[in-house]
Amino acid sequence: MRIQGVFSMSIINRLKSLFKGDNEVTDINTDVSNTSNDVKVASSKNIKVTISDEEKEVSITKQETVTESGDRNVDLTFKKDIKPIEDETVEDTVQDSSEEIVEEVEVVEETEAPVEAEEIVEETETVEEDEDAPEEDVEEVEEKTNNKERDKMTLLTDKELLNDSNRDPDFTAEFIDAGIETVKHCFQCGTCSGSCPSGRRTPYKVRQIVRKCLLGLKEEVITDDALWMCTTCYTCQERCLRSVKIVEIIKKARNIAAHAGYMAKPHKMTGVYVINTGHAVPINDAAKALRAKIGLSELPPTTHSYPEALEEVQKLCKLTAFDELIGYDEATGGLKE
Amino acid sequence: MEIAYFLGCIMNNRYPGVEKATRKLFEALDIKLTDMEGASCCPAPGVFGSFDEETWATIAARNLTIAEDMGADIMTECNGCFGSLFECNHMLKENDEKREKVNANLAEIGREFKGTTNVKHFAQILRDDVGFEKLASLIEKPLDLNVAVHYGCHFLKPTDEIGIEDQAENPSILDDLVEITGAKSVDYKDKMMCCGAGGGLRARDLDVTTSFTKEKLDHMTEAGVDAIVNVCPFCHMQFDQGQTEVNERYGTDFALPVFHLAQLYGLAMGLSAEELTFDAQKIDATPAIKKALGE
Repeated sequence: MRIQGVFSMSIINRLKSLFKGDNEVTDINTDVSNTSNDVKVASSKNIKVTISDEEKEVSITKQETVTESGDRNVDLTFKKDIKPIEDETVEDTVQDSSEEIVEEVEVVEETEAPVEAEEIVEETETVEEDEDAPEEDVEEVEEKTNNKERDKMTLLTDKELLNDSNRDPDFTAEFIDAGIETVKHCFQCGTCSGSCPSGRRTPYKVRQIVRKCLLGLKEEVITDDALWMCTTCYTCQERCLRSVKIVEIIKKARNIAAHAGYMAKPHKMTGVYVINTGHAVPINDAAKALRAKIGLSELPPTTHSYPEALEEVQKLCKLTAFDELIGYDEATGGLKE
Repeated sequence: MEIAYFLGCIMNNRYPGVEKATRKLFEALDIKLTDMEGASCCPAPGVFGSFDEETWATIAARNLTIAEDMGADIMTECNGCFGSLFECNHMLKENDEKREKVNANLAEIGREFKGTTNVKHFAQILRDDVGFEKLASLIEKPLDLNVAVHYGCHFLKPTDEIGIEDQAENPSILDDLVEITGAKSVDYKDKMMCCGAGGGLRARDLDVTTSFTKEKLDHMTEAGVDAIVNVCPFCHMQFDQGQTEVNERYGTDFALPVFHLAQLYGLAMGLSAEELTFDAQKIDATPAIKKALGE
């Protein structure tokens, strides 16, 4: 049963990390300190409800393994509700965790010396293990769930836990409405972050941003400078196991950020150049001379040579209110402020 | 064959030797490049695409309508322009709602997006429309040069939309095109990695951008190449101008000259370094050119 202690702790840590958005779950070995002859098992009613048959079997198998190591007294506490997590995600997490646990069994068993377990709960119930009927044992555990204990698990007393009030469903809807339905397909495997050249050198965490966009954590997404550290290289999108349009998500999130006023001045200035000349990198005297020298027209046959074409571009920027968006000052041909 | 030649910004306004080489090359191939008169910035995906999709699509669509009026397919030799124009063309052909919105804007300047043009990349046209054999016949003297090919990002990706036949993670199109000139494409670590300029990063944060570029330059240098070959003037600028910025920031002494694929062909066809405006680039290309020509 010690194993299930670790098992459950791992789930909770993972759920926590999803809320907090940490990239990595803290080293699972630290959970071993919670494991002793008196194991404190933290579980989630929500998880039990959504658990599939397949995962139940995994759980049972673990109990059998434990049984071989002798009878233990087990303290069980249940925490009921973890709302913002969707069922699908919880199942994924459970699967992940159960795989991990198989590897961790040895680590736990090596902990021979009595380790002082940290008190996770104050009130506990003891469940006698039944070697012959592990399945019933699971049911028994569920029956003994006590509602009054639900709020006493220390790991979920984190004051920064997110709940529905942190979410802005309209923010998520903007991605869906823009045709990026694949934002819902992300199962947080992290292949994107693992592939990301920007993530190797900046605080940009693409997996986390996709998650936050799906959860509707608008302010967190649009106020974070890291959103602008993506070079749109598409490596993440190419490798995504779920074919999520990741770069589209990032660009959409940036659009929302820009319309909320989060724009860097150099970016606005690029817009200014286009409004003034039709080009983000306009011609200059050196380039004119260079062009003439090699037998090209001094001015290329672009908006540089056709003022009426430039007027078209300028009119379009007004029609779409791009000039207002970047704070273009028509009088000065620069930025307002 | 007639092609609507989209110039963009950086190539014609900073590295006109690329434009010169391209015009000469297509003259020799007997393919007519027709100027898209009054074309603007593609517009820059990093700013327009990140700030306001509708503005980005509207200005890109205006450029597309110029080619539609000419009844020709578009060629661009910049990955950024290719990304913007291809993506916009693809999006407006597929999405009625967005096309109506864009066309409502274009109607105000007497234009309409009809979806009758295709956007092609320079390298794509060379391989698929011209063919290796014909290209090989233009080479006067094979170049003796070891190069690091840099593909850039908005060329083959996103693969589910672009449809240039190749493998985005392990491509061969540019290596094949380079080797026709006699130059050798040398493999190097993280070859497919981004140069660091895109997505508005160069404008916003030069420290991060140069950190990408340094990593690329480290790996290219380790492979012992004489030069870098690219198909994007923005990557070109990042490796040329950016290389001096890397050297300033990191105290390094990288000196890898930068060739656009068109310049490499220009050199192999006998154009001078001056005509290819190598003399205006930050990193001295003279040693590489001398080696390439066996001088």
